[in-house]
Amino acid sequence: MTTQHAQSPKWSMVVDADRCTGCQACVVACQAENNVPLNTDDIFKQKRAIEWIRIERYWEGEYPNIKARFLPVLCQHCENAPCEPVCPVYATYHNDQGMNVQIYNRCIGTRYCANNCPYNVRFFNFWEPVWPESLRNQLNPDVTVRSRGIMEKCSFCIQRIRAGTRRVKKEGRALADGDVVPACAQACPTDALVFGNMHDAGSRVRKMSEDKRHYRLLERSGTDPNVIYLKRVDPTATEGAGHE
Amino acid sequence: MPFTRRDFLKLAGGSAGGAAILAACRPGVREFIEQSPARLPEDQATGTDNWYATTCRQCGAGCGIVVRLVEGRAKKIEGNPKHPVNMGKTCARGQSSVQAIYHPDRIRRPMKATGARGSGAFREISWEEALNILRDNLKGLQGQAGTVSIVTDPAGGHLGGLVQEFARAQGAVFTQYEPLEHSTLREAIKRAFGQERIPDFDIKNAAQVFSFGADFLGGWVSQVRHSRGYGEFRQGDRVRGALTSIDARFSSTSASADTWVPVTPGAEGKLALAMAHVIISENLGAARAAQALTGGRGAAALDAFAPDRVAAAAGVSAARIRELARAFADRAHQPAIAIGGGSAGAHTNGVFNLTAIYALNHLVGSVGVRGGVLPNPESPLTSLPGAVSVRLLPKAGGAPYTAWKAEVDRIRGGAVKTLLIRNANPVWGSPSALDVAGAFSRAGFIASFSSFLDDTTYMADLVLPTNLPLEDWGDMPLDPAPGIEAVGFQQPVVRPFYETRGFGDLLLTLSQDLGYERQIPWTTFRDLLRDGAQRLYQLRRGSINAATFEGFWNELLRAGGWWDETRTGTLPATVPLLDLTDADAQTGNAATYPYALLPFESISLGNGQLAQLPWMQATPDPIATTTWDTWVEVNMKLAEEQGLKEGDVVRLESPSGAIEAAVYPNPATPPGVLGVPIGQGHKAFGRWAQGRGSNPLAILEPRVDAKTGSLAWAATRVRLVPTGNRRRIPKMENSVLAVDFTKEIAQVTPKD
Repeated sequence: MTTQHAQSPKWSMVVDADRCTGCQACVVACQAENNVPLNTDDIFKQKRAIEWIRIERYWEGEYPNIKARFLPVLCQHCENAPCEPVCPVYATYHNDQGMNVQIYNRCIGTRYCANNCPYNVRFFNFWEPVWPESLRNQLNPDVTVRSRGIMEKCSFCIQRIRAGTRRVKKEGRALADGDVVPACAQACPTDALVFGNMHDAGSRVRKMSEDKRHYRLLERSGTDPNVIYLKRVDPTATEGAGHE
Repeated sequence: MPFTRRDFLKLAGGSAGGAAILAACRPGVREFIEQSPARLPEDQATGTDNWYATTCRQCGAGCGIVVRLVEGRAKKIEGNPKHPVNMGKTCARGQSSVQAIYHPDRIRRPMKATGARGSGAFREISWEEALNILRDNLKGLQGQAGTVSIVTDPAGGHLGGLVQEFARAQGAVFTQYEPLEHSTLREAIKRAFGQERIPDFDIKNAAQVFSFGADFLGGWVSQVRHSRGYGEFRQGDRVRGALTSIDARFSSTSASADTWVPVTPGAEGKLALAMAHVIISENLGAARAAQALTGGRGAAALDAFAPDRVAAAAGVSAARIRELARAFADRAHQPAIAIGGGSAGAHTNGVFNLTAIYALNHLVGSVGVRGGVLPNPESPLTSLPGAVSVRLLPKAGGAPYTAWKAEVDRIRGGAVKTLLIRNANPVWGSPSALDVAGAFSRAGFIASFSSFLDDTTYMADLVLPTNLPLEDWGDMPLDPAPGIEAVGFQQPVVRPFYETRGFGDLLLTLSQDLGYERQIPWTTFRDLLRDGAQRLYQLRRGSINAATFEGFWNELLRAGGWWDETRTGTLPATVPLLDLTDADAQTGNAATYPYALLPFESISLGNGQLAQLPWMQATPDPIATTTWDTWVEVNMKLAEEQGLKEGDVVRLESPSGAIEAAVYPNPATPPGVLGVPIGQGHKAFGRWAQGRGSNPLAILEPRVDAKTGSLAWAATRVRLVPTGNRRRIPKMENSVLAVDFTKEIAQVTPKD
């Protein structure tokens, strides 16, 4: 359920799979910006690595006619988010800007939301995050460090949205396209990730979302995501083909 | 037992005990500077962030970055939107330079070895003592040519010039070292285009790109710039460009390509000439270039490389070669760019391979045209400022293997009394056949200028901790330049976090003490850079328009560099005659060593220099999604046949040694090839790198390219021996529950 004011922005991201090279720049940029705990080798072995945005790699075909498909996957910020109704303490809710928001100090760690998320983009802190003392100097003061026992996930860099909105207000003007750029989209060397306000008819996301290649992940499940994907183009593929 | 606030107050209440406790808990002097908030410098004001421009030094590309600072601490790297190389973007490696500053295992103070060399026992000493030791040592060797050897990582620009002058004044030998250098690439570029500067590939405006072994979307040469072009190449405001990857291994570039052609390692050049044969004999390309390349003989000159003759050696059918040639020369899809590099240049016939590949650009007329191969202009800064010296600044780049070997042998022979090392890690990066550690143990005295206790610094007698790039001054004549004259500048965006000093400043201090002021008249590296910048200022052109030098200098640092978009490169009008010698790649004995070992540059660890950073260790490989370990890519079917499962530990044995790695069955790995990432296997280098994985460079056979003496790092064959051990590979794949059961996740369409 959402309430939308005509003037409030609706934040959205377009992911152009035809530009993505799987280079991982977005992944590291996100971790640097959002104080994501260090993913040690043990954490990977336990399959508990936290990557708010990750690159999924799918194989298609067989050697030598084999293709790899890269797909950046992050919180889809669904309009009908399956994670929201199952939270007993309203730690996850939908805000009036189209975003699925996590309130860390409400979360009691039931993990119902993660179980209910079809995209597997919610991560549980199984341990207290630990940084050697000197590394804490790098932590971003605008982002809360999440403690043990609570969920975290992509926030669309809400701290940057807030900062951008404040700056624009101070300058006495309306939000323009490009005033807010999350860390992943800022880094992306091929411009495969584009962020903006879907309510702004002139915005890049709005124009790109009208591309005939557009689709959304697990569209039939009715989650109504705010992240829109543009199909990878492969001249050798047959229409409607997916990965194996 | 935790020490709580209540305990503290209790103790502090008692007078004698309280005093002792308070004294012990006193904050560091640095943190104790009291100033009213109104008088704080603006980068210290609470709650405000500041952004400073500088140049990224995580690889050699020289991207412009801006660094976010809050209260004097570096927080985040972003691309500099105005910089001509990367236009506002960064790669994964670039993001991680902030993590290096605050790494807990950085060297904090100068250190002196206390135990046997290589034992790792050090004692911290003062800077004064350290510099005294070094000065006395160098003073004793003055006038004895060749007794001092200086080895640095790639050092161009003013720093390279300074090292060069210092070496000359001291009578020292100066060598640049990097594990995988680009000598074959430079030589091939020189042969194909008549200049040593790597050109700018205008991928953005190209209709087709054929990449031969060059993982240009991975770590090869200038990843961000190439990726910037690639995005527009695919989905810019024009017809979608087509990418073909001809590579012995399924690389990041192969994964993004429309067509991947697995080729026998070392046969890339023959394949390119077979394509040239088709283009010339079917008259598909530029006739004049064809005449020049073949010395007027046309396709007949290339008869030895006709598709039918090359097919078996290249492992690509003659029909497929013809298809590739016709597609490349298709007049409806021009310009087409051929890029060669990486493993294609790392064979005994490396220069032959790369020259043949780059010659294809002449055949389709894509040299010097929009969307083609654009020549780069010479840097406007070619020597040190002042009338002192007219010697050219050295080009940044490691020496070819044979030159490096000669220096190592000289050290082994005992001729070198003092070895100065800066940021280079040859003990780790050189093939074990060279036994660099053994040679270094014969050096009289080793001083290392480094930020981390890496494998080589571990052997030092004296350790001088240096500033990291974000704490130091510098400049970077861009090579490759972005098609225009451009120089990147680097300023200290943060104060040194520990008691470290700049390498340039240290050399200048030593120069003063040793009496080299006449040759090297500067006292700080900043002064030297300012004198260099004066020259740019006096050009009175380019991106910075300032009335005074001070204004120019400020703007130079604010922008992170200087460039002039009107100054592009020019090419000689002639097309070279192809040199067809050294066509065959020499590798090992295929009967006893059945697999070709292809080490590859990690997208995050680079060539091992970033292995100490946990963000880089935790960055999944784009293809295997693996992290934190060394794995070996084995063809999935082959692994099945051999009964090898993911995580089985195998030994890779070459005639020069053996390493262990965990099997990663990869459906796209050619059956005759084993791919192993470079970067791990450090004996030292901080808590996150030490003792982790293994180093494929160690088991390389010391074969070299016939024309340059460059290490043929893709020309080693190995056999694979199961050890019976298993370990779990840390990886991202299957780390989260599969969401792909609907086959609707990664959708594709044949039409743009």
